[in-house]
Amino acid sequence: MNVDVELTARQEVPAWLTYGTPVFTVVAALLLSSIALVILGVDPFGAYVTMFVDPWTSQFGVSNVLEKSVPLILAGLAVYLPLRAGLWNIGATGQLYIGAIAGTWIGLNVSLPSALLIPLMLVVAGLGGAVWGFIPGYLRAKWGVNEIIVSLLIAYAAIRINGYMVRGPMQGGLGNFPQSAILPLDAQLPEIPLLGAHVGFLVALLAVGAIYVLVKRARIGYEITFVGANPDAAHQAGMRASFIYVLVFAVGGALAGMAGVIEIAGIQTRLRPDFSPGYGFTAIPIALLGRNGAIQVFVAALFFGLLFVGGTALEISYSVPAALVDVIQALIILFLITAEFFKRFAVDVSIEWGGAPEPAPSRVEEGG
Amino acid sequence: MPGSQPFLKMQNIVKEFPGVIANDHVDFEVERGEIHGLLGENGAGKSTLMKILYGLYTLDDGEIYLEGERIGIESPQQAIEAGIGMVHQHFMLIPKLTVTENVVLGRREPGAYFRDDQTGEDHDPDRGGKTLVDKLGALFTIGLESPKERIEELAGEYGFRIDPDQRVWELEVGEQQRVEILKALYRDVDLLILDEPTAVLTPNEAERLFETISRLAEDGLSIIFITHKLKEIMAVTDRVTVLRDGERVATVPTADVTRSDLAEMMVGHEVLFQVDKDEVERGETLLEAENLHARDQRGLPALEGVDVKVRAGEIVGIAGVSGNGQKELAECLVGVRSVEEGTIAIDGVDLTGEHPRAFIDAGVSFIPEDRMKYGLAPSVSVMHNATIKDYRKDRFGNRLLDYGELEAYANELVEAFDVRGIRDVRTVTAGDLSGGNMQKLIVGREIYREPDVLIANQPTRGVDVGAIESIREFLLEQRSAGMGILLISEDLDEVLDLSDRILVIYEGEFVHETTPEAAQREHVGLMMTGGTDGTEEATAADGGAGAPAGSDPSNGGEIE
Amino acid sequence: MVSSLAPLSLDVSFWTGLLDATVAAGTIFIIASLGEIIAERAGILNLGMEGMLLVGALTGFMTTVVTNNPYLGFLVAILAGTTMAAIHAFLCISLKSDQVISGVMLTLLGTGLTTYFGQGWTQHNIDGVKQYTLPVIGEYLVGVPVIGPALFESAPTDYLAILLVPTVWYVLFRTNVGLELISVGEDPETADTMGVRVFRLKYLAVLVGGAFAGLAGAHLSLAYAQLWVAGMVAGRGWIAVALVIFARWQPKYAIVGAYLFGMLEALQVRSQGITFTVEGAPVLVNEVIKFFTHPQIMSTYPYFVTVAVLAITVARSREGASAVPSALLEPYSRETD
Repeated sequence: MNVDVELTARQEVPAWLTYGTPVFTVVAALLLSSIALVILGVDPFGAYVTMFVDPWTSQFGVSNVLEKSVPLILAGLAVYLPLRAGLWNIGATGQLYIGAIAGTWIGLNVSLPSALLIPLMLVVAGLGGAVWGFIPGYLRAKWGVNEIIVSLLIAYAAIRINGYMVRGPMQGGLGNFPQSAILPLDAQLPEIPLLGAHVGFLVALLAVGAIYVLVKRARIGYEITFVGANPDAAHQAGMRASFIYVLVFAVGGALAGMAGVIEIAGIQTRLRPDFSPGYGFTAIPIALLGRNGAIQVFVAALFFGLLFVGGTALEISYSVPAALVDVIQALIILFLITAEFFKRFAVDVSIEWGGAPEPAPSRVEEGG
Repeated sequence: MPGSQPFLKMQNIVKEFPGVIANDHVDFEVERGEIHGLLGENGAGKSTLMKILYGLYTLDDGEIYLEGERIGIESPQQAIEAGIGMVHQHFMLIPKLTVTENVVLGRREPGAYFRDDQTGEDHDPDRGGKTLVDKLGALFTIGLESPKERIEELAGEYGFRIDPDQRVWELEVGEQQRVEILKALYRDVDLLILDEPTAVLTPNEAERLFETISRLAEDGLSIIFITHKLKEIMAVTDRVTVLRDGERVATVPTADVTRSDLAEMMVGHEVLFQVDKDEVERGETLLEAENLHARDQRGLPALEGVDVKVRAGEIVGIAGVSGNGQKELAECLVGVRSVEEGTIAIDGVDLTGEHPRAFIDAGVSFIPEDRMKYGLAPSVSVMHNATIKDYRKDRFGNRLLDYGELEAYANELVEAFDVRGIRDVRTVTAGDLSGGNMQKLIVGREIYREPDVLIANQPTRGVDVGAIESIREFLLEQRSAGMGILLISEDLDEVLDLSDRILVIYEGEFVHETTPEAAQREHVGLMMTGGTDGTEEATAADGGAGAPAGSDPSNGGEIE
Repeated sequence: MVSSLAPLSLDVSFWTGLLDATVAAGTIFIIASLGEIIAERAGILNLGMEGMLLVGALTGFMTTVVTNNPYLGFLVAILAGTTMAAIHAFLCISLKSDQVISGVMLTLLGTGLTTYFGQGWTQHNIDGVKQYTLPVIGEYLVGVPVIGPALFESAPTDYLAILLVPTVWYVLFRTNVGLELISVGEDPETADTMGVRVFRLKYLAVLVGGAFAGLAGAHLSLAYAQLWVAGMVAGRGWIAVALVIFARWQPKYAIVGAYLFGMLEALQVRSQGITFTVEGAPVLVNEVIKFFTHPQIMSTYPYFVTVAVLAITVARSREGASAVPSALLEPYSRETD
């Protein structure tokens, strides 16, 4: 048997591939994950209905999805913006945690009416996240230190710092448990009247709009895009890549920080150890799916929000760990990458059955 | 000595890439022991043809015969096994490894215990004949002593001086090229392909390369010499094949043709070597740099006290071989590289140490040497690329950009500078353009903004002849309009044709100043390689071509 | 100097125990980072390390529970790690995908799969791999104060890790396969024209890295902790990746860094529930000391230290002689237009 695989680079991507890709990847991911469900004795079809259909059937479900999307939208933007400049903010989680700590601290210790307190919490959370984002951004700008590693490492440090806070200075509430006191009502996010989701959703929408304008319309966005495309040419053209790098990471960090405090003030109401169910990491496929614009990031984040809610529903209804959602996410990324390959190359596979295989010619004798 | 059949015969070779036919039914023959030149412009197909021969590309159609037998070459390994070696234009060396390691890479020289005491006279023995133990032994050991001796032997035979234990990143360019040649010689090739070998050599190093090649040819090696420089064809080849736009135009004995014949074959129409320049009044001093000292990428001194002045309406040409500080000079003058000592003033304002943005705002434009790296962002639209120097102007809005205006500007630019291949400036990316059009886009961008001073580093490198003519015309137009231009070019003819004043740079210093009228090519060439000033212009006239033996101090007593 | 819930004195037994724990904790870092050095030297960054370690830990643990044979557990774990690495290799080498994305995806996958399937396995106990004294000399030398137990009584994988260091060094720097592997990570195009089998070597390097990861993960669940808990790798995979940079891609420095971080981890465990104060010092000073010796805070030190070292290393490196494999993160394809 002789298998011959030929790759030719595509000039254009066929339409069916471009539009079909998101559908293919999700379907494929779900199909594969259904195997995992079957192994644990769960009916995949029923499970998927619970995950993806049920949330839409109730007001509570809808608001749940929207609320779960909020940190994903913000974290997704936190990864998207640096990506635009050619940098990876893999450690958005850390910025999220620091923002949560800072914002919650304000909520617990400052007495102000809600209309003032909550914006203050957001601002302080943003500052905290910005500081945590500043570190990898600055190190990259100043010394070319790989921002992936730095942001990742200090993200893990931030999770530990949170662990310290809830056992130490910010420990509160009944008993001696590692958690903070519950945020006073003034510090908790109110609901949006019709939607039922908390106002964090509005913050997220605002952020999407702001980032969209920043990147696609503002002068600085023009620079960010060019720096991301070719930092050397950008430098020669008078752009300051260093400034851009720090800026995108600081702004990204601020967004992630706000995501953190919104999660606490809007849903969890108190600071706990390891409170983030992987928002920072999920932000990465979201930013990838939405790498062409803030609106796309928004849509991708909504989808993953649905996924998160579905996972919780799955765990409740079927006693199956919500971690399956991680698996589904990973498979989506996997198929996205694979689809990316097929978009770039057309593959021709020819298989010859039976017969002697072609000898690999090094010298082919011919008369004369 | 030509035999009944040529040593190498490539017949009817076809190779296509998306959108272009690189080799269009090309025939090519080489005799034993001949030095055969392969001439053509950038993009004519010479490199492609040789990469097919060397197994880096697979041909789409055609046959290759070596000594009458048909062969198929699917990889460089097979090419080497067939006795074909190649010295690449961009050296295929690994800087972190030593000379020896670079030379033996891929041969799996086994450690002493497993070594078979082969003298290496044959080509690589068929690997299938070795036992499993031998193969594993070769994999998990390494023996560098024996190869080192052989390398020193070979180097001595052909007049190189090389330290086999030195790491390649520590070597100079000429030495690195010798390592490339050693790689081929070590493998006992019968045919050696040299791809634009003099691109990074000084004229003197080039001379010595030609001597080496002649010796190799005398020893029976066949040599294919790829170049686009007519001088070299005339100097060293026996025969020359001219390619143009993927087709073979002619194959002729070198002695039977003149430079203009070859140029015409290469280009397809009569090429004017002379350009008409207007008389232009020199105006005020626009750029003044004094005592510049700067370091290169590796931290080594690149500029050692350079003074240069550019006035309105003049083109100052910097002649020199690549690597003598030109790149660093250009970068310092636009703020991209920091200056260790010295000052730079634009329009009388001291801008030493300022960010590139200050230079741009002061009216300095820059055509960088490497357009893909420093000139454009290939993945971004033409519009975006066309406006990166001026997007901060009021015309385009304040905080928010007026994309309509940007598009209009880009369109004007593309029109004015004849940049082809663009349907829509917003959607076509710069990477979609051909080399010549990319360069025109950059030149246009830099000139259209009407700067006071233009620093142009190799503005016509890697560009087709039509585009070269256009770019040179643009430069002369701007000179007439009062712009001050600093022209850095490896092409001595270009410098002589376009400049009002000529400065020769060597090892970071200006060693000679002249004008096109007073300059003698041979003397300028000598200055470019470190000949001392004080040698009269007249001396070159009675010495014939090239530098007299022994007069070049830069090579420190090596065997001529 | 110390007042606490239980008295602790910094005497010989403290240091002995600390060193012993350091060696035990450092092993996973050694093995994982050696594997990563090999992969990165061939040009492939593997950010899926954390996921691979988890997969190795769980599969090793599961196998041991079922078969009661920890060595079989190690074997299965190695296979599992290699399988995950095969995915990474295929995506990055054959499909030329972005290595960062692929790696992060694998970590996500590994984390998700192990949490999902590991749900029922937390309660099991195993007879893991015990500590062995070295034959002959071990019996006598184990009593040596401070270094005795550390050097002479450890799990087999601890010894294996130490032996792997010179082995990997030798293969990388004193063999043809190592020369070729390094050349592939520096300049695959050049290596290709010299006849080096670029794709084969890249695959090999990544697979070997995965095997090492599986082994390291199994060490965690079978020798070090002897249990399974979801997420038990707790970020060590990321430290291992950082360690490679810290060690400038050289095995001899990797072992130093590994034990450094191992010591930090051991210190952190040892100081749980203990408060360090200085008698007679002002309250503020004691508060500060309390802060810096709080276990959670101490657990951040490896991360910050690595960042600092990384910054210093990178700031000091020169071009041309940079320690970083020049073609790291670049996908290779043969025919370029």
